Amino acid sequence: MKDVYFPDIAVIDNIRNETGDVKTFTMRFKNPKVQNDLTYRSGQFFEASIFGVGEMPISITSTPSRKGFFELSVKNVGLVSGALHSMPPGTEVGIRGPFGNGFPYEKVFGRELLFVGGGIGLAPLRSLINNVLDNRDNFGKVTILYGSRTPGELVFKDEFKVWQDQPDVNMLVTVDRGDEKWSGNVGVVTTLFPKAGIESENTVAFVCGPPVMIPFVIKDLLNLGFTEDTIISTLERHMKCGVGKCGHCCIGHKYVCVDGPVFSYREMKAMTE
Amino acid sequence: MSRYEENLWVITRDNLIALMEVFIKTREVIAPVRGHGGEVIFYPIENIEDVAWDWQYVNAVLPPKRFFLPQTEVMFEYKYDNGFKITPRYDDQVRMIFGIRPCDVNALIFLDRFFGGGSLSKESSDEEPLFPDSHYIRRRANTFIIAFGCHQPGENCFCVCCDAGPFLEEDYDLQLTSMKGDYAVEVGSARGLKIIYGNERLFREASSGELEELGRIKEEAVKKFGDTCAYMSKAIRKVTQAKVDDCVWEKLGERCLDCGGCSYVCPTCCCYSVADIPLSDKTGIRTRIWDSCAFAGFTRIAGGEILRSDKKDRLKRRFFHKLSYQYIQKNKRHGCVGCGRCVTTCLADINMPLVVETIRRQEAIVKASAIPGA
Repeated sequence: MKDVYFPDIAVIDNIRNETGDVKTFTMRFKNPKVQNDLTYRSGQFFEASIFGVGEMPISITSTPSRKGFFELSVKNVGLVSGALHSMPPGTEVGIRGPFGNGFPYEKVFGRELLFVGGGIGLAPLRSLINNVLDNRDNFGKVTILYGSRTPGELVFKDEFKVWQDQPDVNMLVTVDRGDEKWSGNVGVVTTLFPKAGIESENTVAFVCGPPVMIPFVIKDLLNLGFTEDTIISTLERHMKCGVGKCGHCCIGHKYVCVDGPVFSYREMKAMTE
Repeated sequence: MSRYEENLWVITRDNLIALMEVFIKTREVIAPVRGHGGEVIFYPIENIEDVAWDWQYVNAVLPPKRFFLPQTEVMFEYKYDNGFKITPRYDDQVRMIFGIRPCDVNALIFLDRFFGGGSLSKESSDEEPLFPDSHYIRRRANTFIIAFGCHQPGENCFCVCCDAGPFLEEDYDLQLTSMKGDYAVEVGSARGLKIIYGNERLFREASSGELEELGRIKEEAVKKFGDTCAYMSKAIRKVTQAKVDDCVWEKLGERCLDCGGCSYVCPTCCCYSVADIPLSDKTGIRTRIWDSCAFAGFTRIAGGEILRSDKKDRLKRRFFHKLSYQYIQKNKRHGCVGCGRCVTTCLADINMPLVVETIRRQEAIVKASAIPGA
């Protein structure tokens, strides 16, 4: 019987500084067979271990459409993320997973897609965005609306241009507070909605960001005619085991680690602490 | 009644001791023993005399859950030597639990489904279990169960309200019931029957009179619960439909001391935390440790936010998990076996029968603004 708590060893190949406290780690499993056999869905997560420090759930930010490696974008907010941030390339970490349900992908073939991200919330969306762009023919128009508090907190800046240059992709970026160098939009992410000319018909919205952002975005999306089923988001919990056993991520009778972390707004509305 | 084998057997006290002496030599035998303070606990025994034979108690202070889910369990060892090497640590000790009560066996059956991954499989129960827990499953498979039926309920027992006792109907290996100085032996599994046939000279088949006597003992035992009644079904309905007034949880929350004792003594509570313990610069272990949803830090997320920071939310969570139909569907039973340990343990008088009663009579209680107890 497979031991679901037993991590595989992965090696950090590359580290990219996204912001002052967010780094993107490119990794691959040390055992080539494990790396070759790796399949995952956008929106799934890994349990990443720094041995001797602990383990943390991290959403996979790379796309399953690109093989041979995987990427985790990590904000330095706690014990394990702090330890990972101090690691140089070449470091070995433990990886279990992938876990969780992931975003509906096949189900949204033929639909137009709206991505609304805030801060590090772009990390799980980036996986799906790249997965969609790598399989462009399967999807309609793509709109990406992204905001952060300050220009310095925008993640994946290098990729913005790549995304914008793709056919039928509209990407708008905003910050809550600009600086001297910032010439783009200023305001919360919902202020981009009128500018982007969003139409709810045949569109599915994927929303990831800080808890303070989500209710405002959902309210505006509902006003624009999105239904509770066409608004998809993720929930954040400290999923310690990833396999529905430790109990830490339960909301109502749902295990965020197994039933989620991706839920429709309809599902989320029905949940009670 | 669905015994593995319909025959009823009888073993004398002397023969039972002889049988146990054989087991003690061949496996780890866990039995109720008296601790230094006189309390009864499940503990590995070396001599059959260690067993608290007097039965002047109904159940051990703690359930035998730690022999399946240790309070601190090593999951694997890691070692750095030009790269990390990880070695899983499994406990394959062959064990017997002697003197376990029906409520605690029912709790194990609950945990079997949970750790087996059956409670995660969606809709139909025939679906593949999800993420079976090999650590629990190995321990459980290696543990033989000799249960003792209960003649006499303890002060805080309510297994009759939870369909969890005072006798087992299935899912045990052997069930013993004290009968006129001897023990009636019911066989609940193939490996139970193997013990009988492997030690045939120690057992004799029961007479039809003895069979009737056992039936009488069981009926009498149920009657002894008297008026004890936790109206689980009404509480289940109200919790399921979210119709419990928030002020019930608020009032109970005000007196909760956050000690987590309810979870630790509960035979079905099994939430855990995970911690790495370095043993040197290059070696260490990963452990899992009992945790409790009563603790504020249980829902802490990265950045420090606590999602259930109010005690009322934590209590609501605890009883939703124990009682809601949503969880009954997953676990195939509600999460209480009526052992009464939370009644004994909680310093603030928050326990299953009281909560169930409070939910049942909530209108009156809310009006009077007083919840009984404490």
